[in-house]
Amino acid sequence: MENTSTPVNITINGRELKVDEGTSILQAARQHGIYIPTLCHHEALSDYGGCRLCVVEIDGAPKLSASCVTPVRSGMTVVTENERITESRRTIVEFLFAERNHNCMFCPRSGNCELQRLAYELKMDHLTVSFSYKKFPSDITSPYMAMDHNRCILCGRCVRACTEIAGSHVLAFHHRGPKTMIGMDLQEERSHSTCLNCGVCLQVCPTGAIYNRLRSHYFVKGREHVCEKITTFCPLCGLMCPTDLLISNNQLIQVDGHLSRANGQPNQGQLCCKGRFQVFRSPAGRLLHPLVRKEDGDWVVANWQEALFLTVEKMKAIQVQKGEKALFGLASPMLPMEELILFRELMEKGLNAGYLDTFDGQHFRNLKGTFYGGAIPIRETSWKQVGKSDFILIAGGNPETSQPLLQSIFRRRFMETELRTGLISSLDDVPSFVTDFIHVPSNHLAELLRALLAEVDHLCKKEKQAGKTIGSSGSFPLLAGMGISRDAKSAFTSIARSIAEAENPLVIVDTSLTGMADSNSLNGVIDLARRITPSSKSEPNLLILKPEGNSAGAWKTGMVAQKVPDQADCLKGGLLLMGDESSMGEDILARIHAAEFLAVITPYAHKFLMDRAHVLIPKPTWLEADGTYMSLDGLEQLFRKKTIAPPEGVWATREILSAMGEQIDLKVSSKQEGLFKKRSDPLV
Amino acid sequence: MGKPKIATVWLEGCAGCHMSFLDLDEVLIDILHQVELTVSPVTDYKDYCFPKVDLGIIEGGIGNEEQLEIVRHLRRQAKIIMTWGDCAVFGGINTLRNWIPKTEVLERGYVTSESTVNGVVPIHAEIPRLLDQVIAVNHVIAVDVYIPGCPPDPEVIAYSLTEILNGRLPVLPGEMIHFD
Repeated sequence: MENTSTPVNITINGRELKVDEGTSILQAARQHGIYIPTLCHHEALSDYGGCRLCVVEIDGAPKLSASCVTPVRSGMTVVTENERITESRRTIVEFLFAERNHNCMFCPRSGNCELQRLAYELKMDHLTVSFSYKKFPSDITSPYMAMDHNRCILCGRCVRACTEIAGSHVLAFHHRGPKTMIGMDLQEERSHSTCLNCGVCLQVCPTGAIYNRLRSHYFVKGREHVCEKITTFCPLCGLMCPTDLLISNNQLIQVDGHLSRANGQPNQGQLCCKGRFQVFRSPAGRLLHPLVRKEDGDWVVANWQEALFLTVEKMKAIQVQKGEKALFGLASPMLPMEELILFRELMEKGLNAGYLDTFDGQHFRNLKGTFYGGAIPIRETSWKQVGKSDFILIAGGNPETSQPLLQSIFRRRFMETELRTGLISSLDDVPSFVTDFIHVPSNHLAELLRALLAEVDHLCKKEKQAGKTIGSSGSFPLLAGMGISRDAKSAFTSIARSIAEAENPLVIVDTSLTGMADSNSLNGVIDLARRITPSSKSEPNLLILKPEGNSAGAWKTGMVAQKVPDQADCLKGGLLLMGDESSMGEDILARIHAAEFLAVITPYAHKFLMDRAHVLIPKPTWLEADGTYMSLDGLEQLFRKKTIAPPEGVWATREILSAMGEQIDLKVSSKQEGLFKKRSDPLV
Repeated sequence: MGKPKIATVWLEGCAGCHMSFLDLDEVLIDILHQVELTVSPVTDYKDYCFPKVDLGIIEGGIGNEEQLEIVRHLRRQAKIIMTWGDCAVFGGINTLRNWIPKTEVLERGYVTSESTVNGVVPIHAEIPRLLDQVIAVNHVIAVDVYIPGCPPDPEVIAYSLTEILNGRLPVLPGEMIHFD
């Protein structure tokens, strides 16, 4: 809506107000602290005028009007509350209760439900109409969310959120009249639909129709007055989305994004499946006491001092026996900076470990092995550029695995601005937002990128010579022998043209490319990014996706080994492993399986570790500890406060590492700030 | 004039509302001093033709023909009818069966349940027949006071009784209404 600044005089409940033209009555009332109840309205979504709960009386008209969709008019007199209006609102709520199954006592949303709150507010102590008892199906095919259509009031918030925020267009109204239902795609079940399980519909649902299947429903009902809301951010990927966590009795009840049309984030408060649901999943059980393996292979519960003492002693013994370089340290890039720095100090200074690495160290080394990472540092732009760029080229693969949220941004931007997105990949996984896809075998990727660069150069030169007419290119011969299809050739032309025409294109390097030790391809893609960046910019239009939440932070601590020792793919000596992961990837397991002595600091009792490790030391999860994290572009450092208390008796990670350090007379430095590299320094 | 007389009935419900009533603690003694409790599950005095009472209290929804009779009798004998709890007010958790045909419900309960061997659906002149659906009390008789909640808090029950004893028909303020 266009915002003209002419003020309009209106009267609401006898108060004369000056509001901007074009605002709705509801907005005007809210701006001036006048309460109007709403149900289908959501501040982050477009207005719909469906529920009629926000009805007001305008100029004494016999018909009440929905205030959310009625714009203010000069001289208008509005009454928001009188007997007739309250009666109308109560009747609507009664109808909603009567229409489907709204028996609060078996709904997980009770206590935190907007429909219920309105019923209380309107003093609906009984129903004057009878219930319909019409049966609707439930969709419990998704492991994350269940949808019970019997609790749905058809406010359409989920439909609008799915379209306007997630950019997915999965949810829609199906059928008509009393048979109306919210449906997925063409009446699919959620698991068979194109739903990304981002859960934005769950967040905006005012009733218990869409609910989280993973959180405990037995322990507490989500009553607002017993829940604490903690504003923090999600450290599970480098985007560090701001979140609100609902906590009750030291249990996480819900993760909400800061949904707002103007919160400065390109994602508008959208969260992904990982951020919203993964925290509820812990496939492995929690480790609550330190465990030490006895000679006969059985686990015994040890006390803390005992377990930590044993670990350090064993490490030292291995060092004496096998020489200087027989100790290894491996840490997860999900951990906050403070824990990583302490870990590094303990291993490097205290135990003189031969090799220190993070789970994602290979990505760092591959980048370091490029021409740029070696000679010239690689600079990156802010990830928020994804919300501003007019063409995006992704090299490597689907960014869904590492940064799932990006696809929502791309989808929405495709709908809003017809954003074109190119993907060059050796994999067949093509996300739906991609407009131009080139499938190329990984051994030809570098050549293809060179050809693309040549084509872009060619087009730009042509553009300069002949005004705006861009002709076809001479770089097709370069493509010969790469085994790419005719479709891919036209995609190639289209991508090159889009890059040449775009004013602010962005190159995104996916983790599947940085994970491959192919410095030519990486060089090629960085070359391309530098080529397309306007010379006025100090940072190239390049964004390198990082595999884990605090990868950028971990790389900045300098703890990633520059070189891998020969046997390191299969570490054999004493190994101290520290991680927050609730499940560990095959690649990590392959690296640790041959360790002679394996001590693990982890919150979870993984099956693999239960089989292989020698000492298991519990630690708090990321929810249960504070720490500093770095966004994936390395440009932002965010401090995250502890959200819930760790299980009783579990030491904080810093206490664990300090206690181990004290045993070897290592004074762990309290001043950690100095260890962080300067913010502006490039990561690689 | 003697003390006001109260009758309470427990229909299709879990007795939770009566438990909440007993949970009034010392307030219960005050209230019992002021009233005469006649027919009630608490006194175990059963007379479903009911004496004339000033206040009839109903807990539970109406699920069978007997319960239908009881509420009709009570309405005739009581000056004021108060419904306690979600079951009496809305139908409550018993209405779960309203989404399933009655024959299927009986079949599941008496024949196909896992612990049943050679089960039959009982039919006898003395066994009240199940209604097709569980219904709220106010859909059968006129109700004067509604106290929703599952169960209503003792404070809410105390409030409503005190109001009635003081000669007012209570209407719950918004913060006293809850459905769970």
